[in-house]
Amino acid sequence: MKMEEMRLSGPDNTKLEALMQDIYSELVEDACLGLCFEVHRAVKQGYFFLDETDQESMKEFEIVDQPGVDIFGQVFNQWKNKECECPNCRRLIAASRFAPHLEKCLGMGRNSSRIASRRLASNNNMSKSESDQEDNDDVNDNDWSYGAEKKAKKRKSDKNQNSPRRSKSLKHKNGELGSSIASESYKYNYNTGISYESLGPDEVRSLLTTQCGVISEHTKKMCTRPALPDAELESSSFDIPDGPSLMSRLQWEDSSDISPADSASSKASANHSDSRRPKKKKRPALGLSSAGGSGGLAEGGGGMGGSQSNLSLMTKKKKPKISAAFISSIYDDMN
Amino acid sequence: MSKDYQLRAAINQKLIEMGERERLKELLRAKLVECGWKDQLKAHCKDVIREKGLDHVTVEDLVTDVTPKGRALVPDSVKKELLQRIRAFLVQHAAL
Repeated sequence: MKMEEMRLSGPDNTKLEALMQDIYSELVEDACLGLCFEVHRAVKQGYFFLDETDQESMKEFEIVDQPGVDIFGQVFNQWKNKECECPNCRRLIAASRFAPHLEKCLGMGRNSSRIASRRLASNNNMSKSESDQEDNDDVNDNDWSYGAEKKAKKRKSDKNQNSPRRSKSLKHKNGELGSSIASESYKYNYNTGISYESLGPDEVRSLLTTQCGVISEHTKKMCTRPALPDAELESSSFDIPDGPSLMSRLQWEDSSDISPADSASSKASANHSDSRRPKKKKRPALGLSSAGGSGGLAEGGGGMGGSQSNLSLMTKKKKPKISAAFISSIYDDMN
Repeated sequence: MSKDYQLRAAINQKLIEMGERERLKELLRAKLVECGWKDQLKAHCKDVIREKGLDHVTVEDLVTDVTPKGRALVPDSVKKELLQRIRAFLVQHAAL
């Protein structure tokens, strides 16, 4: 083989070329044949002319090759310069600006509320600062600082008003209060508000068996947390002591303002919380105080001290939670 | 010239054995489709078929009509590239 191959070198370049050409033409012929077989098969199978429909639709969808137009014959910027009439404000807006304009105009976009509130704030500022300037014409030196302070304060208050935080906290509170009993709680909340003196003993009992009933010192509102069914049994065993006698026994440090009704209600509420205790969260601080109370208990003194601290804790917070470990200890001792 | 013939046969054999022939074939096909040669020829086929009648077309008809045209229609660039590759192969494997 090598001997024969060597003969191709040098003057046999033509042979090489010839060989090349031969191989090339063979390859091309192969390609043509392949195409013929393909076409023939398509003809015999009947799918050769499938891409041709009638002449009309062929002309309709013919490829367009003009400048300024795409292959379908459509123009690119056709609607760019058109103007649309806004249905809200009836103005003529350019097509590309139409969607953002609608957003602001209808007040529905993401930023539209923010912009509106900001505008309101600045308007208020303007009106207020204008009126102030009229009054404080003499105080020219302080105009800038005063106005700035006003602005800053205004902004802060505006922020609080418009932010969702405010409404959230309100909802949260109301939700908690409302979850107890439907409308009754609110009725009692607003009517009884102040004292139990207006209600008779039966009413008070019925009220306190269903609700917590503790009156917060700060807001003078009654706690409407629902009482558990066990509470009824417990409360029946205890009589609600009369106001004055209780007052004489108890010594209040922090709650000098407290009315007799308050102490009664607090005592009564203590009864209910007794049964409620195992199901609520732990209160380590109160637990300590109750332990202290029970430790130093004779009959009244230590227990009262414990309850005193308990009440002080209650009045400081808006939602009084009572863990009545010491109460149970008191009554146990009493019994 | 039997040696010539033998030589050719040997080279062809080598082409096939090494898979180079297949590769060249695929390369040519791809290039022809790319440059539109296939569509051109297909359109020509349509004419032939319409001429001869759809039902009576035979392979031979097509081949005799299409092949010379096909050979002529191959673009020069494709031809050059292919020749180059063939020469490279021959030089490498036929010790030239």
